Amino acid sequence: MKPGIRTSSKSRNALRYMALAAAAALPLSLPSGALAQSDTIVIARDTDFNTLDPSRSWCDTCQIYLTAVYEQLVRVGTDNESIVPRLATDWSVSADGLTYTFNLDPKAVFSDGSPVEAKDVAFSLMRLKNLKGGASFLAEGIDAADTPNAQTVVVTLSAPDPEFLGKASAPYGAIMNSDVVAEHGAKAGADADSTDQGEAWLLENSAGSGAYVLDSYRPDDELRLVVNPNYYRTAPDASTIVMREAQDAVSQMQMLQSGGADIAMQVDPDTARSTTAEGVTTELVPSYNFIYVALSPGAKGLEVPLTPKIREAIGLAIDYEGILEFTTGGAADLIASPIPTGFPGTSGLPMPVQDVAKAKALLAEAGSPNGFSMVAAYPETNIYGVDLSTMMQKIQQDLSKVGVQLQLEPVTFAVWRERVGGDHIPMTAVYFAPDFYGSGQYVGYFGMVPGVPWYNRAGGDDADGLANAKMQELMEAVRTVAPADAPGLYNQMALEMIKDRVIIPLINPKLVLAYRNGITGVRNAVCCNLPLEELSKN
Amino acid sequence: MTHYLLRRLLAMPFLLLGVVTMAFLLGNFVKGDPLASLLTDRQMDNPMVVAAVKARWGLDKPIPQRYAIYIRNLAQGDLGVSFRTKRPVLRDLLDRLPATLELVLCAMTFGSLVGTALGVAAAHWRNRLADHGARLVALIGSSVPVFWSGLIALYVFSVQFSWLPGPGRLDPALRPPETVTGFYTIDALIAGDWVIFQNALAHLVLPSVMLGWAVLGIISRMVRATMLDVMQEDYIITAKAKGAGTLRVLLRHALRNAMVPALTIIGFSFAYLITGAILTETVFSWPGVGSYAVDAARSLDHPAIIGVTIVGALAFLLANLLTDIAYVFANPRIRLE
Repeated sequence: MKPGIRTSSKSRNALRYMALAAAAALPLSLPSGALAQSDTIVIARDTDFNTLDPSRSWCDTCQIYLTAVYEQLVRVGTDNESIVPRLATDWSVSADGLTYTFNLDPKAVFSDGSPVEAKDVAFSLMRLKNLKGGASFLAEGIDAADTPNAQTVVVTLSAPDPEFLGKASAPYGAIMNSDVVAEHGAKAGADADSTDQGEAWLLENSAGSGAYVLDSYRPDDELRLVVNPNYYRTAPDASTIVMREAQDAVSQMQMLQSGGADIAMQVDPDTARSTTAEGVTTELVPSYNFIYVALSPGAKGLEVPLTPKIREAIGLAIDYEGILEFTTGGAADLIASPIPTGFPGTSGLPMPVQDVAKAKALLAEAGSPNGFSMVAAYPETNIYGVDLSTMMQKIQQDLSKVGVQLQLEPVTFAVWRERVGGDHIPMTAVYFAPDFYGSGQYVGYFGMVPGVPWYNRAGGDDADGLANAKMQELMEAVRTVAPADAPGLYNQMALEMIKDRVIIPLINPKLVLAYRNGITGVRNAVCCNLPLEELSKN
Repeated sequence: MTHYLLRRLLAMPFLLLGVVTMAFLLGNFVKGDPLASLLTDRQMDNPMVVAAVKARWGLDKPIPQRYAIYIRNLAQGDLGVSFRTKRPVLRDLLDRLPATLELVLCAMTFGSLVGTALGVAAAHWRNRLADHGARLVALIGSSVPVFWSGLIALYVFSVQFSWLPGPGRLDPALRPPETVTGFYTIDALIAGDWVIFQNALAHLVLPSVMLGWAVLGIISRMVRATMLDVMQEDYIITAKAKGAGTLRVLLRHALRNAMVPALTIIGFSFAYLITGAILTETVFSWPGVGSYAVDAARSLDHPAIIGVTIVGALAFLLANLLTDIAYVFANPRIRLE
């Protein structure tokens, strides 16, 4: 045999194998959209579930899930403002504002066909309160929930609360089938926080009366809902809803473009603008979310005290319009006070303006004509399409023009929580989204009154004069005033918060609704972000 | 060799205990509030709620007591409950590990085969076009960040041309097959569902190639370097002189000896990718151990952090062991003692 390279037969075999492999690979080229079923709607979203247990849950995606699978006593209507009946067909409030009597819809049934009864409402509300979980503050004011008969629930409050109906409309006020969940370890008594074992079952099952039931849940992967076979209202058009995890906006948009998703929920304005795709609709709608900076006069290590003049100077130095343009390309609105525009008490509030000359004058009056330096630590995150680091860099530039030097410290959320509650942070940035339709949640969170969260975080007890006595009076007055008069009081409280200049709201970002043509019902709802039972697919 | 293997296997629990102890201490002493993943921002100032949450999750106990409880539970196979997902950590890991293994095995198969082939070609055609081409491919794989290449690949192959599906393990319209192994491809075959098998395989292509491309570069460079050394050996010259074909010389004689160092790289790469494929998992929405690890770290989810650490440590220990065993088969002169 002659020496030499004998590869011809092997080369032929290799070619054959490659051809076979290519042929086998052909069926792999199956685009996502080809398998889409006409009545399955896929939502691409960065799901932030902390749990599926209604009484422990607290997240944006939880709101979507809880309103699809459960129902509340009442709900916020499609106008994003009025309270409309849901499980309760009607209700009455006692003259002293302490007693709410709800009459339940006799037609309402749970997904297993059993009727929704007063005991289920009582159980769910007391469990929400007694578990001391994420949203327990919504039910904190409930003293008792009595059930004189199967269709009537009497809720007694410890103090008047004109926003109780708003709280009851929150997704976390979900009403569960008490017999079923109790069978699986759920408790509602006073010791529920130490005895309840219901969460494990609720992570795999649902027990509501909503349009959908939980089919499967794989954390960080997919949530699948199927239509409730015993739904007593008009059945939704989509028989299956799949919420598919997609962490970033670009991935979500790609899924939308390729047909792998029907709705993308967290596309930012930049991505929406830079993407042109047939068959995809993007629109900007107002939201009630906002991003703010907060000053802590009681923080340790301040170079100069953050007196009212200093705080006002900082507020005047910020280029508000510039921040909107810089962070969102203009896809956002200004916001006057720490109560979002459109909520009770916000009409006629003055919008923030930049006035560098006045800021410098105030700093000089306050004894810091050459400015000072200050630490600004904030969670390193991108929220509602706004990158907080980018925003803080812009603020750093603005404040440097009046001599205030910011040392930026982006940190993880866990570190931020430790610092803001510990030594406090001279300046920080964070965000807020409404828990229900009502202004009380804002004054009760941002007001400079002892005991209120941001008073504590601002180091109120260590800063002279931070407590706002007028704010405290207004907060007490609003409890007992007639509901029609409440907006006037909230307006005054908003003005007080503007004057305090501890919380400086900056950006009210618009939301991008991105969905494939043929999908209807996509809207931003204050009740729940996205009401799934309103969706349909043509 | 049996004694050697037994010694290695017996040492593993002690090594893992050391790793767990370090992870536990680091997790508890690092800056940050673990309640961040357990408690809403609204409630963190409510002392009653904070006390209830701490009691529920055992965070009100002193660290030594928590450590003792954790080790006792660990000995019974209980890795605790994740602060973030509220499910047993073991269950979370058992759900995610097959996803990661499926991806990493495909990536390593691609990276090893193609990397080895490129390395051999580059060595054989040294300083010629094939060598330069192979090294360029390797350089691109090693230097282009996967969060960019992955998104570009998705845009081109999925969005523009619809040749391959988008992110995820399976199309949303399809239900995953009944879990036997957790590998969607294998489970689909077991269930006899050809549609799911095809779909799962199609979803594996892009992330495996992107992940494997990064590994391919290292392997091809290692193989090229060792092949160049081996090709100068006397037995190679003898084989050629005896009339052995090029492929036989390259693969049967040279590669077998050149692969020994490359096996180390392959072993380490495999172990590293088990927890290190985070960027690929994020871009392709792949619910694996890497993304679980990052989410756990961000939210100071102590049980999940330690659980992932155990997985990572086990992966490295087993990869080292398997690599050592593979040496024996690759080179009979090597003895494990």
